[in-house]
Order: sequence, then structure tokens, then C-alpha cells
Amino acid sequence: MKHSERITINALALLLGMFVFGSTVLAQGNPTLSDAEVASAAVTANQIDIDFAAIAEEKSKNAQVLKFAQTMANDHQAVIEQAVALVEKLGVTPKDNAVSQQLKADAEKTKQQLRSKSGKDFDKTYIDNEVAYHESVIAAVKNLLIPESENAELRDLLKAVVPALEAHLEHAKMIQHEMSGK
Amino acid sequence: MRRPILMTKRGGVLCCALMFLTGFSFSGAGPVAKTHRVEIRQMKFNPSHLSVKPGDTVVFINLDMVTHDVTEATGQSWKSPPLPAKSSWKKVARTSATYYCSFHPVMKGAITVK
Ligand SMILES: [Cu+2]
Repeated sequence: MKHSERITINALALLLGMFVFGSTVLAQGNPTLSDAEVASAAVTANQIDIDFAAIAEEKSKNAQVLKFAQTMANDHQAVIEQAVALVEKLGVTPKDNAVSQQLKADAEKTKQQLRSKSGKDFDKTYIDNEVAYHESVIAAVKNLLIPESENAELRDLLKAVVPALEAHLEHAKMIQHEMSGK
Repeated sequence: MRRPILMTKRGGVLCCALMFLTGFSFSGAGPVAKTHRVEIRQMKFNPSHLSVKPGDTVVFINLDMVTHDVTEATGQSWKSPPLPAKSSWKKVARTSATYYCSFHPVMKGAITVK
């Protein structure tokens, strides 16, 4: 219970951090993230969920959780492939930045929490985190990455990803709800 | 010698075309089966509710970047293979069914056959 609360708090801190970052950007009226940095943040956010899924595939024995993790790995990989194809076409090289670094630092903490769990405790922690993580990534994509994208194709790609993130969120909530009923 | 054959052929083609245009099959038993299109885009089946006649074909086309499928709701009647981006799958409709995507169970649709 304490661990999953901590993970949710991490996700919220990330979300708040992004809002603060976003509002600072807006206050300056001057884009702080280049398209190369937006691309890096987008790829990083997707890779993190693939990493979480890999831990689930290793640790979970719940068929529903395993199928969800497989979908996360496949879908986020498909998004990365689209993003990589687009940046190559645009001649942009994804550039590491404060947002990508924050995402990676928070993900490391979450991975440690996940690795410390097993059985039903793991399943609950993983799914709770998937709910929180997708909520924070949806907010970051909508409120930060889309507004920060200068290139229309990059913006369109990010917009196209939102419905998939929302479907993942609803799917995770559905599993969360079913687990709480058992 | 050849002209009558050609004329017969033309007559046949014309007859066939007329039957097609008026919507009758060669047997004359009923209307020609139609093909309906369901687009999968932005994590939704479009249209999510479709009314068809028995024997009509429904083509599902995945326009998203992620893989979907089309699974009959009970999971016991029929199921498409995984449909990667830009791929499609078709099914002849015999009975009404509700369906969902097994990868994204929040995606749902229905086919009414009548
Ligand atoms: Cu799907």
C-alpha cells in the first residue's frame, strides 16, 4: 500500500513538474523545447512504458495483466517507430533535455518499486502505476509536447497518439476495477 | 459465322450488367450481397453500429498505427487475426453479433443482420 502510494505520488510530482515547466514556458511566450527535444521526450515516454511492460512480463502470472503488458509493449513500440520515421524524414535528431531526464529519473524509481513486489501485490502496483503514468503522459502530451511542437507533422503525430493513450488508460482502469472487486 | 457468337456474348454481358445494376443475382433468389466498410481509427470502430443483410460482407480496415483485432463478444464464435496498421480483414455476416478489440477491450462495435 505504501509503495503504490509512493508511485502515485511520483507520477503526480512528474505531472506537476511538467505543468510548472509548461507554464514557465508559456509565461516566457517563447518555446523552450525544440522539436528535437519534443521528439526525445515522446520517445522516452513511450520507451518507459515498454520497460514497465517488460518487468510485468517477467513477474506477473495474471493472464489479463500479461495481455495488457503485451499490448503496451506493442503499441508503444509502434508509436516509437512512427516517431523515429518522422524525425528521420524531417532530418531531426532527438535531443536529450530536462523533460526526458525527469521522465527517466522517475521511471527508475518506479522500476525499483515494481521489482520489489511479487504476486498479486505486483499486479496491483503495476496496474495502479499504469493508470497514473498514462494520466500524466496524456497531460504532458496535450499541455506541453503538442503546444511545443513547431513542425505540423510532429504535432499531428502527437495528436494521433492521444486516443491510444486514452484507450490504454481506460483499459488499465478496467483491470484496476476488476482487481479491486476480488 | 463469328458475329452471332459475339452478339450472344454481348447480350450475355448486357444481361449480366443489367442484373448487377438492378441488384439481382443470377439465381434471382435475392439482392446481390453488399460490401460494408468499417474503419478502425483513433481507437474506434467507425461506424460502431452497422446494419447488414444476411450474406453481406463487412470489411474492417485498420487506419491506426497500432495493431487491433475484431473479436466476437463471447470470444467463442469468430475472431480476426491481429490486424497491423494499414491491413484489413473481411467477414461474411450471417448472424447479429457484438464485438470488441481483444488488445483494447474498451473498443466495441456491433453488427445487426436482418
Ligand atoms: Cu485495438
